[in-house]
Amino acid sequence: MHYQLSDGARETALRAARTMFPHDGFPDEAYEPVVRQVEAAADGDEAVARQIEEGIAGLDGSGSFAELDADAQLETLAKAEGTPFFELLKATAVVALYDQPLVWKLLGYEGAAAHLGGYLHRGFDDLDWLPDPPLVMSAEAGSHHQ
Amino acid sequence: MTRYRFDDEDVVVIVGSGAGGGTLANELCQQGVKVVVLEAGRHHQPEDFVNDEWRSFKQLAWLDNRTTSGSFRVAKDFPNLPAWTCKTVGGTTVHWAGCCPRFMEHEFKSSTYYGGIDGVNALDWPISLADVEPYYDRAEKKMGITQTNGIPPMPANNNYKVFANGALRVGYKRFHSGRYAVNPIPRDGRPATNQDGFAFQGHKNRSKWSTLYTEIPKAEATGRLDLRPECHVTRIAHDDQGLVTGVVYVDGDGLEQFQRARLVSVAGNAIETARLLLNSASSQFPDGLANSSDQVGRNYMRHLTASTYAIFDKPVRMYRGETMAGHIEDEAPTDPSRGFVGGYYMQLLALGVPFLAAFVDPGAWGRDFTSIMDGYENMAGMWLVGEDMPQATNRVTLNHDELDQFGQPVPNVNFDDHPNDLAMREHAWTQSAALYDSVGAIRTIRTPPYPATHNIGTARMSERPEDGVVNKFGQAHDVPNLFVSDASQFTTGAAANPTLTIVALAIRQAEYIVDQLKTGSIPTGARAWDGRDPGGAVPEPEQVAATAAEPAGAGAD
Repeated sequence: MHYQLSDGARETALRAARTMFPHDGFPDEAYEPVVRQVEAAADGDEAVARQIEEGIAGLDGSGSFAELDADAQLETLAKAEGTPFFELLKATAVVALYDQPLVWKLLGYEGAAAHLGGYLHRGFDDLDWLPDPPLVMSAEAGSHHQ
Repeated sequence: MTRYRFDDEDVVVIVGSGAGGGTLANELCQQGVKVVVLEAGRHHQPEDFVNDEWRSFKQLAWLDNRTTSGSFRVAKDFPNLPAWTCKTVGGTTVHWAGCCPRFMEHEFKSSTYYGGIDGVNALDWPISLADVEPYYDRAEKKMGITQTNGIPPMPANNNYKVFANGALRVGYKRFHSGRYAVNPIPRDGRPATNQDGFAFQGHKNRSKWSTLYTEIPKAEATGRLDLRPECHVTRIAHDDQGLVTGVVYVDGDGLEQFQRARLVSVAGNAIETARLLLNSASSQFPDGLANSSDQVGRNYMRHLTASTYAIFDKPVRMYRGETMAGHIEDEAPTDPSRGFVGGYYMQLLALGVPFLAAFVDPGAWGRDFTSIMDGYENMAGMWLVGEDMPQATNRVTLNHDELDQFGQPVPNVNFDDHPNDLAMREHAWTQSAALYDSVGAIRTIRTPPYPATHNIGTARMSERPEDGVVNKFGQAHDVPNLFVSDASQFTTGAAANPTLTIVALAIRQAEYIVDQLKTGSIPTGARAWDGRDPGGAVPEPEQVAATAAEPAGAGAD
């Protein structure tokens, strides 16, 4: 049985990940892998599970983190900086958020290319807002350092 | 497939299969020498490589535990990953991009040029540029370096267009698309680059020089190379005369083996090379093998290693094309009027989204960080690689509190930036930001050093035995049949990426070894070995002889 957060705790973790790495153009779906990886970190590790639960409870305080406005979410999250949960969430999110094709597409990164013949005929040199520069050193500059 | 017996007294054992070990192996095999290469990593093939940064990292990187100390930021950001090197056949030539500047004359003379600066353990190399030049010529031909041997320059990719136009506008003169070890046209049985942008992930189409598919198969074709992947050397053994007799290693099945050798070369990359020498301590060599100078592990250098990224209002798409095909040499000479000695190269650099997130500002969060990531498509980047100062306290030592999977102490890397390093980095960040500003950058970002891809100096060359570990041919001062063949032997780091010089020195070393073996000038411990090892922990020869016919785990094929 894999470790699972409650629905409410998952929602708080997702909102916290969004507050930590805010991209207005990203759907909530982009942050789902972060929550799953946070859960995975607690798999079979009760101490980590407790840190996560305590961290989420801390963010929720007497209410719900998800229902705070954006400024209050940021303020609440910033107060948690340095806690084990905050650091776990940050280390997890910076990998899990940016390691998925959905996000690559949103940021304009095309990723794997070898199976498509690389970028040789797909725009490796298509930048057209600057002139084509020289490829070799000018004769006046002399020879390469050696 | 060639297999030598464990008790073969004639083999040369090379630890590591990267730029140093792989090149040395081929050069020796071509000259008729029997060679066993012991490589800790697996034997991946280019078709196994993946165009995916994190998955490739897990496939290729050296991830055995290491620890860090000292004030460098890597100790905080990546405390168990001081270096980004490879554990795979081909070593770090699988991961490297291909930048191949030569060293400059003054860089062989750090004591002359940089001597007297507080905290700098300066020393002149026992060789000069003139000694290495003929071997640079051979290395460039072997590797197929662009702009040499009639090979055309790399074409301009998008990132280079920004970089080179910026160079023009700030008045730099010495820039070009790189002295680069990637084929712009088919050469040496390998195709031209397909510009897939995944050089750091192994370069699937083989257009980049790597020992994996050049030196090693060429050595195997001689019938003289016995390549054993997944074999981790834990100890170098010696006899009562202080001569090396062979190596102890753990094979892919977890079995400890002993391979005799007439001569051993260590080329495990600077951290592992120093660690192996230190772990080979014995009653005769209590401070580690070949360490009477106390310089093994010291003077560890990792180069300046900073980056600058710039965001524009139009697309760049820096990830398309050869990752580092662009060099600016104007800041490379030493010019103390800039406030530091030594110099640095500016080189093209691109990361994908996963690695940019991990490395652009480690530990950062919030809208300032995500606004960098939001600029990804319009981003250009460059790496700043320069000479860092050798310091005796920047050092690889054994951490006896943490053991690896073989029960061996893990290496600890202690590093403090020298004030000269900090001044150079500040200058490089400032100059590179000015370059990008000149072509309309709307934001520039200073990226700090990350885990070192250049690891240098932990078994340095010296004229006198008391100043260093090896002589001008990489031969240990204390142990004549022990050699060091990687960048550990560099007396100082220079500004240039180390691979070209590693290859040049390996070619030169092979010539020396062949010559010395022919004339019998290198004594060998193996023939005289009586089965005892002063340090203990070596199996009796009868035990290993029983399984010698087919070394277990020495390759699945």
